[in-house]
Amino acid sequence: MTDPGESTIIEIRNVTKRYKDTTALDDVSLKIDGGKIYGLLGRNGAGKTTLMSVLTAQGFQTSGEIRVFGEPPYENDRVLSRICFIRESQKYPDDFNAEQAFASAALFFSNWDKAFAQRLADDFQLPLKRRIKKLSRGQLSAVGVIIGLASRAELTFFDEPYLGLDAVARQIFYDRLVEDYSEHQRTIILSSHLIDEVANLLEHVIVIDKGKIMIDDDAEAIRGSAFTVVGTGTRVAAFTAGREILHRESLASLASVTVQGRLSEAGRAEAAELGLEVAPVSLQQLIVRRTMDPGPELSMNGAATELEVSP
Amino acid sequence: MNRIVNVARMQLINKWTFLGIPAVILAGAFLVTYLIWVLIPDGGPTVYSGAAQAVMWYFLALGIQSLTLTFPFSQAMSVSRRTFYIGTVGLFAVVALAISVLYYILGLIEVATNGWGQNGQLYALGWVAGSHAVVQILFYFIAMLALFMVGFWFATIYKRWRATGMLIVWIAIALVLLGLVALTTWQGWWPAVGAWFVAQTPLSVSGWVALFCAALAAGSYLTLRRAEP
Repeated sequence: MTDPGESTIIEIRNVTKRYKDTTALDDVSLKIDGGKIYGLLGRNGAGKTTLMSVLTAQGFQTSGEIRVFGEPPYENDRVLSRICFIRESQKYPDDFNAEQAFASAALFFSNWDKAFAQRLADDFQLPLKRRIKKLSRGQLSAVGVIIGLASRAELTFFDEPYLGLDAVARQIFYDRLVEDYSEHQRTIILSSHLIDEVANLLEHVIVIDKGKIMIDDDAEAIRGSAFTVVGTGTRVAAFTAGREILHRESLASLASVTVQGRLSEAGRAEAAELGLEVAPVSLQQLIVRRTMDPGPELSMNGAATELEVSP
Repeated sequence: MNRIVNVARMQLINKWTFLGIPAVILAGAFLVTYLIWVLIPDGGPTVYSGAAQAVMWYFLALGIQSLTLTFPFSQAMSVSRRTFYIGTVGLFAVVALAISVLYYILGLIEVATNGWGQNGQLYALGWVAGSHAVVQILFYFIAMLALFMVGFWFATIYKRWRATGMLIVWIAIALVLLGLVALTTWQGWWPAVGAWFVAQTPLSVSGWVALFCAALAAGSYLTLRRAEP
């Protein structure tokens, strides 16, 4: 096993995937370093599953080049054996129960931890002897989650793993993921459209929208990359003039504006002087804002001129 | 190599699919046939039964199921398409060979016990049973392999091109058959064709079917290589 840290383990160049009438991936280039938890975020149909499929050679790109662990993954058992990707709509053999699915996984994933799988099955209260096709949606998700965690593959993908899981089960998943990750370093790519729920787990965020990469940055950097100011409309308009605006909202005389960029100390003092409230923007809000139009412009109706406003 | 063996082991995790159900079908087909023979008044001519085919048809279904359900699962197990293919077809070949040998042995018992004491023919079918042991086993083996490959191949077509693919394949098969019949009629070849069929031996039939199997095997592999789970 190679060192899971730092070095680039996934490199894709100009990858496009076209279905008959849609372009699921549009000229995507991306580098992913090992040893982190990545969030692959985006709306339904944004291209998350397609991207993971082509990375694991379960699907095929229309054009472009993919390298995982330095080699093309297609028909490459050497590379594939270090990867685990259970899709959200994973199919299992008709007559399999969860125990048999785990027995299979033990054959193919060299780091498989049977005791861990058993403990997770207890946590999720998963009936091991019931046929998988008779399980509920949540239990089906649990089977995938358990295989993903207990395989301890160097590169593990989770594809919307929480579907049908209740809040308690979801929390169990997040907790186990973090615990196990801290003991067994590896690279985890977690696709999700429930951004707030997973935001705290993520070290790096990749946002995909309409088949294009919108954001590819450290989670920390993104969290500080925007802020919201709230106050009377005219003052907010004055304060935000000349800044890059992601979103505007107003209610009566009050306005709330989300601004792209880091707020300097001077800016913070200025906002305080104007009686404006400054709040951080959650990852979810930020992504929603950056994938939508900002909304109608606030009117300044001359008020700004009364105030001495520095840019 | 290790992963190929593991694909076979994965297919055997549920013992029923590849071993249990065929055994039940074998035993069931024999029992039902035997009871019918007992009910028929004695002293008549030799009674034939096609019940031994039952397990072979199960393999057609198994071929379909191996692909439609086990293939997507094998992808989640990070197995390449090639490894999945070799492991699955290889395991099937071993099972088919075992059943072929069993059929041969049951045929010997059948002859030795005067058709299970009922003058019946279930395993030692006249046309095949006269051949050399190896030819008999080969004949059963190739027949089962052909059925499995037919199921497997149709499933790969379905997997890649869905209902449209199936439709095109069936129409193409119908057109080719129709074309052959028309050609034979037009050229007045029917007597020659009849003579050709009569001249076939179990060995030559095995050879033709083996050729057919090889074509299906190559076709399935090439289709599977570009299939998405």
